[in-house]
Amino acid sequence: MRSSSRNYWQLNFQVVVALVFVALTAHSARAAAVIGQPYQFQVSNTPVNDVKQAFRQPDTIPFPPDNLYTPEKFRLGRALFFDPRLSRSGALSCSSCHSPALAFGDAASRSIGANHTVSAHRSPSIINVAWNDTTMWDGRFESLETQALAVLAAPGVLDTSVVQAAEQLNAISGYRQMFEAAFPGRPIDGTTIGQAIATYERTVVSKPASFDAWIAGDETAISGAAKNGFAVFTGKAHCVVCHSGPNLTDNGFHDIGLTGSDIGRGRLFPTVPTMQFAYKTPGLREIDRRAPYMHDGSLPTLSTVVEYYDAGGLVRTSGVSAIQPLGLTSAEKADLVAFLQTLSSPSRSASPSDLPR
Amino acid sequence: MAHRLLITTLLLTALAAGAAAALFDGQTIGQKGRNFSTLLVHIRRGERLIFVNDDTVPHNVMSLTRNNSFDLGSQMPGTAVPVTFDEAGLVDVICAIHPRMRMSVEVSD
Repeated sequence: MRSSSRNYWQLNFQVVVALVFVALTAHSARAAAVIGQPYQFQVSNTPVNDVKQAFRQPDTIPFPPDNLYTPEKFRLGRALFFDPRLSRSGALSCSSCHSPALAFGDAASRSIGANHTVSAHRSPSIINVAWNDTTMWDGRFESLETQALAVLAAPGVLDTSVVQAAEQLNAISGYRQMFEAAFPGRPIDGTTIGQAIATYERTVVSKPASFDAWIAGDETAISGAAKNGFAVFTGKAHCVVCHSGPNLTDNGFHDIGLTGSDIGRGRLFPTVPTMQFAYKTPGLREIDRRAPYMHDGSLPTLSTVVEYYDAGGLVRTSGVSAIQPLGLTSAEKADLVAFLQTLSSPSRSASPSDLPR
Repeated sequence: MAHRLLITTLLLTALAAGAAAALFDGQTIGQKGRNFSTLLVHIRRGERLIFVNDDTVPHNVMSLTRNNSFDLGSQMPGTAVPVTFDEAGLVDVICAIHPRMRMSVEVSD
């Protein structure tokens, strides 16, 4: 009761301040105004069953109208994804950094590409990328088709070219047959290579986890600690402000106060303060199999991630960091980790493709 | 009691967004559910739109379109900010935080 009253008055003070602020700016010809005070996160009073339903996984995978699913495209894309012949060295494939045995990541704190090039970031999992709005940590590509080709040509990743890859594939009769089956009458080129790889990637979907059984109504599916953790996740720790929806991401970009010189999405939006040091919110499906954590792979365990957020991160001079100290108890931190562990499916199977000859 | 207080709080927040918008002349653009309430809006040069954050999370409405660029920065839920468009043309408006949020403003002479 005392806590609720305090929230109530804090919020109404905030509303009054906001009203005065906008009234004061009403005369401005150009509203380049920034609402200056820190955001006070509200604790939702939505019934827990309704909150849970927002995390229910969709029944179907979305495919874009110009690259609809076919089994032939899937089989071709899966072969390409695992085939090191798509790299200049013949030693790297998409699966080098996105291994099914490692939850479609690579378990390294930085991904390593061609010529032992160390990336500025860790390799993100591709699980549930079908629902992503953008790709890469800075969101520079809007489609998986585009991203696949960019990585193919990047000197520090697969280090080949689209033309070279197409020539390589054209020389393999098994691929010529698979391309003809997937794209009848069309050439082996950047468009068809990108569409096939993207089709396979969209099928990499998280399998049902104990969390899903719980939100479907099985109260025995997860522990009491995990249920408490869900309440902290959606309440006091306000993780859900960014980690929302079935894939536990808003597909948005936030500065979470990690140290480092890389400005992330700030490179794409150099004049926008909120985008400096901002990175894409990763989904949290299969998260306990995806260590190390954060875009820079700097935190080794889920417990260290929770400790990091509880401490509130680095305060930028811009003052636009999306996080703030949480004041969690030891029990709440442990419960949060217990909840996060319910987001992984029991299945650990992986099925790399047989490669065409 | 606590439950009633929270409901009142949420109602006041919603009312505040409406009240803030009511301070201004101009069409209102909402941001509920990480979507703009309209995809395309027509206005005349010199008129303004009121961007209301009626969502539950902060947004960052902005445009990089030449001659009509603006950046509202981090805009809290329950607040409204007016933006005047000075030049004729088609303006692309986005939320910098949530790339899915896009709309266009057609500004005529």
